[in-house]
Amino acid sequence: MNVTCSDRDRIFEDGTPVEWAALETHSVSCPVCAEEVRAWKSLSVVAKELRDYSDSPSFWPRIERALAAEAARNSQRAGRKRWFSFLPSISPLWQTALAGALVLALTISGGWIYFHQHLDQGQNDKSLLQSSALKEVESAETAYERAIDKLDAETKPQLENPATPLLANYHEKLLVLDSAISDLRAQAGLNPSNTQLRYQLLAMYQEKQHTLEEVLEARQQ
Amino acid sequence: MGTMGLALPWKARISSTLRERGTRVEPSEHIAGGPSPAAVDATSEDAALAAACRSGDLRAYERLYAVHGARMKNLARNVLGNPVDAEDAVQETFLKVQRSIASFRGQSSFVTWTYRILINTCYDARRSRMRKKEVANDDSEETPRLEPRAPGAHPTLRMALERALEKLTRHQRDVFLLYEVEGFRHAEIAGMLEMTETASKNTLFQAKKNLRQMLEPPRSSAAETR
Repeated sequence: MNVTCSDRDRIFEDGTPVEWAALETHSVSCPVCAEEVRAWKSLSVVAKELRDYSDSPSFWPRIERALAAEAARNSQRAGRKRWFSFLPSISPLWQTALAGALVLALTISGGWIYFHQHLDQGQNDKSLLQSSALKEVESAETAYERAIDKLDAETKPQLENPATPLLANYHEKLLVLDSAISDLRAQAGLNPSNTQLRYQLLAMYQEKQHTLEEVLEARQQ
Repeated sequence: MGTMGLALPWKARISSTLRERGTRVEPSEHIAGGPSPAAVDATSEDAALAAACRSGDLRAYERLYAVHGARMKNLARNVLGNPVDAEDAVQETFLKVQRSIASFRGQSSFVTWTYRILINTCYDARRSRMRKKEVANDDSEETPRLEPRAPGAHPTLRMALERALEKLTRHQRDVFLLYEVEGFRHAEIAGMLEMTETASKNTLFQAKKNLRQMLEPPRSSAAETR
């Protein structure tokens, strides 16, 4: 078999033993190829310098300890997983269905708890009026307000032209009370379920009622 | 010298003994015929070793270490540059083999699979070491610290080769170390590095060409010495 210089790289990369023999024969008469073959082989020789297979007696015992420790950990983990050992025997379809059912159950129970918490919270919060109670309060308040307005109409002539300083004081007091009632009603309009505002409004109406009664008594005297 | 080809069929699995040779050629792919009895033995030994490791038998790991430990450590040292990191990488490899032996399907040989894990572990360690260097704002030089090893005949040449290897691409370095230093065949290297045999041969060729350029003395000084 004859080879030429142009075959050299191909033989270096993937030459058969026959091709290598032919290249060496060619190298005898070709100094360039002889140098290339020598340099190529010298790399393999130098590569052996990177071999150091010196034994270290403590190395295997170290690996063995690490392997034993890992095996012990694995057996512990396996013991914990035994609870779920039935899972692999169930087909993936059933595992998916089981997981879906679990998610559904959790969603429903979560929703139920959330709903009931809000319901209880609403029932427990006494400072807020429910819609039916609110209607009852508002109708009673309107009736009370009308009754007081009738009383107010009766006292109006004396209060507009007060004959005594006492009546003048009552007049001023009633003006203050009317102003306070007007403010509270405005606030109750914005927040109708607030019982505190309703109690304050009731107290103002009661004070106005007492004041008007006192005016009527003063007129009779 | 250059024709010291081994008459082993290419399908032979990784042998337990080191092959000594000069420039190797692998003529086996050019030889027709089925696997030799030696190859069949190697295959069955490999399968038996895998089965024993899968069963959790520590003696099987000891056997793996006895046969391949020195080569594994040497390969790791050549990738990582020092024996301490090399031992850590080999230990980590054994642990990874133990952890994932259940997932080993026998698509490659067990030993090939083990070396693949070793190589990946070494590069993980290299990356981790480089990250630590960056964090410490230390010397960002990519080459690993090369530590002295057992005295050799040509320490200067060896050091020059180690430095030149660091300048190769990862694949070129791996193929050179596995083929020229550790004595694996291209079929075995192809399995370890997940490439074709042809790619392994071509990568080795490129690696040696680059190394030759790097290690060759400058033309002028070479001429002076003559």
